[in-house]
Amino acid sequence: MYHKRDKKDDEDLAIAGNIFAKITKTSALQDARSFNETPVNARKCTLILTKILYLMNQGETFTTQEATDLFFNITKLFQSKDTTLRRLVYIGIKELSKIAENVYVVTSSLTTDMNAKDDLCRPQALRALCHITDGTTFQGIERYMKQAIVDKNPAVASAALVSAHHMAKNIPEGVKRWVNEAQESVNSDNVMVQYHALGLLYHIKKTDRLAVSKFLAKYAQTGLKSPYAILMLLRIAAHLYSQDKQNGPYLSFIDKCLDHKSDLVCYEAASLLLKINCSTPINTAAAFAVCQSGLSSSRPVVRFAAIRTLNQVAMLRPTLVEYCNVELEHLITDSNRSIATLAITTLLKTGQEASVERLIKQISSFMNEISDEFKIVVVTATRKLCQKFPRKHAVMMNFLETMLRDDGGSEFKKAIVDTILHIIEDNPDAKEAGLAHLCEFIEDCEHTNLMIRILHLLGKEGPKTSRPARYIRYIYNRLILESAPFQAAAVSSLAKFGAHCEDLLPNVIVLLRRSLLEMDDEVRDRATFYLNVLLTKQKSLYNQFILNPLQVSIVDLEKSLQQYILDPKDTPFDLKTVPLATHPQNNDESAKKPTVNGMKPSSETVRVTKTAPNEVAETRRAIYEEQLAYFPEFEEAKLGPLIKSSQPVELTESETEYVVKCIKHVFKRHVVFQFDCINTCNDQILENVRVSMQVPEGYRKVCTVECPVLLYDAPGTTYSCVEIVSDNVSLYVGTFENLLLKYIVKDCDPNTGKVLDDEVGYDDEYALEDIEIVWSDFVQAIIKPDFVSAWEELGPNTEVAETFALQSFKTIDEAIKNIIYFMGLAPCERSDVVPEGKMSHSLYLSGVFHEEDEILAVAKLAVTNEGVTMKLSIRSNNLDISNFIVSIIA
Amino acid sequence: MSLFSRLLSYLGLKKKEVNILVVGLDNSGKTTILNNFKKDEDKSQEIVATIGFNVESFHVNNLTFSAFDMSGQGRYRNLWEHYFKGIHAIVFVIDSSDSLRLVVAKDELDLMLKHDEIASKPNLPLLIFANKMDLRDALSSVRISQALGLESLQERPWHIQASNAITGQGLQEGIQWLTEQLINQKK
Ligand SMILES: Nc1nc2c(ncn2[C@@H]2O[C@H](COP(=O)(O)OP(=O)(O)OP(=O)(O)O)[C@@H](O)[C@H]2O)c(=O)[nH]1
Ligand SMILES: [Mg+2]
Repeated sequence: MYHKRDKKDDEDLAIAGNIFAKITKTSALQDARSFNETPVNARKCTLILTKILYLMNQGETFTTQEATDLFFNITKLFQSKDTTLRRLVYIGIKELSKIAENVYVVTSSLTTDMNAKDDLCRPQALRALCHITDGTTFQGIERYMKQAIVDKNPAVASAALVSAHHMAKNIPEGVKRWVNEAQESVNSDNVMVQYHALGLLYHIKKTDRLAVSKFLAKYAQTGLKSPYAILMLLRIAAHLYSQDKQNGPYLSFIDKCLDHKSDLVCYEAASLLLKINCSTPINTAAAFAVCQSGLSSSRPVVRFAAIRTLNQVAMLRPTLVEYCNVELEHLITDSNRSIATLAITTLLKTGQEASVERLIKQISSFMNEISDEFKIVVVTATRKLCQKFPRKHAVMMNFLETMLRDDGGSEFKKAIVDTILHIIEDNPDAKEAGLAHLCEFIEDCEHTNLMIRILHLLGKEGPKTSRPARYIRYIYNRLILESAPFQAAAVSSLAKFGAHCEDLLPNVIVLLRRSLLEMDDEVRDRATFYLNVLLTKQKSLYNQFILNPLQVSIVDLEKSLQQYILDPKDTPFDLKTVPLATHPQNNDESAKKPTVNGMKPSSETVRVTKTAPNEVAETRRAIYEEQLAYFPEFEEAKLGPLIKSSQPVELTESETEYVVKCIKHVFKRHVVFQFDCINTCNDQILENVRVSMQVPEGYRKVCTVECPVLLYDAPGTTYSCVEIVSDNVSLYVGTFENLLLKYIVKDCDPNTGKVLDDEVGYDDEYALEDIEIVWSDFVQAIIKPDFVSAWEELGPNTEVAETFALQSFKTIDEAIKNIIYFMGLAPCERSDVVPEGKMSHSLYLSGVFHEEDEILAVAKLAVTNEGVTMKLSIRSNNLDISNFIVSIIA
Repeated sequence: MSLFSRLLSYLGLKKKEVNILVVGLDNSGKTTILNNFKKDEDKSQEIVATIGFNVESFHVNNLTFSAFDMSGQGRYRNLWEHYFKGIHAIVFVIDSSDSLRLVVAKDELDLMLKHDEIASKPNLPLLIFANKMDLRDALSSVRISQALGLESLQERPWHIQASNAITGQGLQEGIQWLTEQLINQKK
């Protein structure tokens, strides 16, 4: 009988497997109605619910209404006592908790379950409960949570601790009240509970540095039992050390852990010590020894950990890692390919120029045995190597080319193409070979994005090489062999050749003519457009429409066109009214990366995804524009489109009563100062908050927008708007002095935030720092894809040149960073990267002043005994501007 | 086996599951009443205000009851209707000593009976517990029945039963009536 039943189960499963492939949202939602049937058929409902969860995990989206209906259907399943079904219900609740409405209805049911006897359900019910709890229902579950944190059952205690950690995001104040229970749990005998309890405790105290350091001292001494907990203490110690380099106890604690009996702890301590970038001599030798001996461990996981750390350390201190070269050489042939890959890439970082060829050969022998993820590691190492030994680019190019031809996912291919692009950009000698490889690659390439990028690159770089004609064939092949997106890219690329190389022009024109008959609109339109531009034979048109085309922001272009269509004018659409797409200033985003990977997952070394910085800048502008448009005052002032918003500047010292930051929004004839204020006094409420200031020559006050109330710790904003009255560019820059934050202050009850009875308040003010409007506030950094043509087009008549001695800079690199920052222009042709050891360099910059005047600059830099000298030539269609720039630098 | 349960098994209702919905204003004693029906080892020691709902099951008269114990607090009352589907009976609990909110209870009861899902089932039995009868200022079940306007319920089988959920007084009688109704409907 049992046998028979088993078979039936298997059949069911087989059917389930099939059903998973074809379920749709509609059918699943339909099926979920049967949850209402009574009595509940647990088997059937389990299958249906599994399907729904499967759909959710596949990324299917549900509307609020669908999710809410589904949620209420699921709540009916609480009638069933079936444990499997019940556990699925918990998962369903968790998944839906963020989309459905009224999810708190299951609060009582879940509290009952978490206090029931069934140990299989208790931790899961608790986790689900914490998902649906918000500030309003928090109090109802608090008592149970406190009990659960100290529960005898470790699974329950861990679930409670981890959930508390999650809840601390939304309800930090509430979770803080559980500090005593967390403390009690740290004494648990269970290693996981101890670890989780320590985690929660740290999270609660995290913002209070003194408390954290006390906490560390306490537990470092008592000697915790759980290696995971110690691991966490180690990371906390390293993090504290990275903030406050003076403190010895942190390091000595890490140091002490080097001879802990758990190898997990030893390894973590060693790894942290090696990665800490410290100036004081610490016990690197001992730490290094731990990793070194790990390399010859019999356990693969230990070898892997050791080599992984050494691989990272090799970046910072190649000389140290060189000591392990013998062990590393052994690991090259390790049967675990991940270890072998890391060993080779480490050697590539530490190795000498002479060994490059041998290592590359070694790694080629097993490239097709390792996973894509590690292939990418290899590719990145290759890129580093090329920077270090530029002369070896031929070997490396060949290696990359072989990989490019082999199988691999698109991430991997992208990494290779990126690397080739980098090599081409850094090393002019490698350019032609690199382009040739890429040409071969696109002959047989299924990755849309890469292909289009490469076609674009060919159009940009190809015409400037010694024999542009050789690339035409590859591009033309795309035009006859591929689908529309590639054809369109190929057309644009061809046009660049035509515009740049006079001798190729007749051929290009013939090829473009053929494309006029293409089926696809985009392809045909592009061909028509370029053909007509090229037929004019006018250099300036080439420049404007082919080599340095449209620079407006696409988002805004769409918006403006929509508006134009809705409200048509007699005059044609003016492209000049559309805001320009700016090149984002590199503010110190990269400098913020932690030097020690404190509490961060370190897997990010492998793959870093970036959002395009341009998009960020675009949305930021759009958000501000929309915010400002909300105020009738500004509408009246007729500000027009927002040109540029500065980064926030602090106008108060840190840790004062009020924190005020200012963002400058520059418009055509106006500047709006946005003051973001925070009131840090919990016994005060401020009303009618505004900022007064003294306006410099060239400006006139227009209006202010008050912030009606500023509650404790809730940000509020007030604005001041000034008009630019002068046409004299030199009066655009200036200092706004005597800034005062003015307001009516009222005392309030710190607990409730309510204003005390019969409190009328009194006027008060608070002095802020001056605001400066600088040159770069008006400048939009805009890249010219073809700088030289643009430079020539403006011509020498518009040029102003001057030589400066920049004594405060020691290197060209340093000078470049500061010049870019100061001028607010965008570096072109990647001229902001200086090959190492070069003593002179030309920096090309471009941008637009105040949305109308084009500025191009060439800064010839050279290192001398007294710092760096700069010969700056500026061309602009407005000679005033050129003169002005030179005057402010001087 | 009592005569009554023998009758049940004869009618084929043995081990049958019935779903009931227990509603009423907050603090009226719904959770306490259900707790009283449970086996001693399953009883909760302390009863707290329900948030949302709870499913309770218990055996009485050889029937397995599966009860949705709804929360009676104002902000949760609009959730009741989600659980109207598929029920076999409604239990409405009143705090007899809370004369002030009797009108609120009436409103909620009327609203529920007018709901399509309930109105379309005129046979669905309605049991009303006039709970907390032990309290000094408790109204009699007759007064409550008048206040709720139960007389005007035409077709629907209904019954009002004074009860004390703490001692269990009146609870058996109420559930007995309900069982008979359910059996009658089976016939
Ligand atoms: N004196 C007396 N007290 C009762 C009686 N029934 C319940 N109580 C008390 O009334 C209070 C509320 O009872 P609950 O069962 O939680 O009420 P509820 O209807 O479930 O309330 P919600 O869940 O908020 O809708 C508790 O303190 C009970 O002890 C009764 O018959 N007599
Ligand atoms: Mg209740």
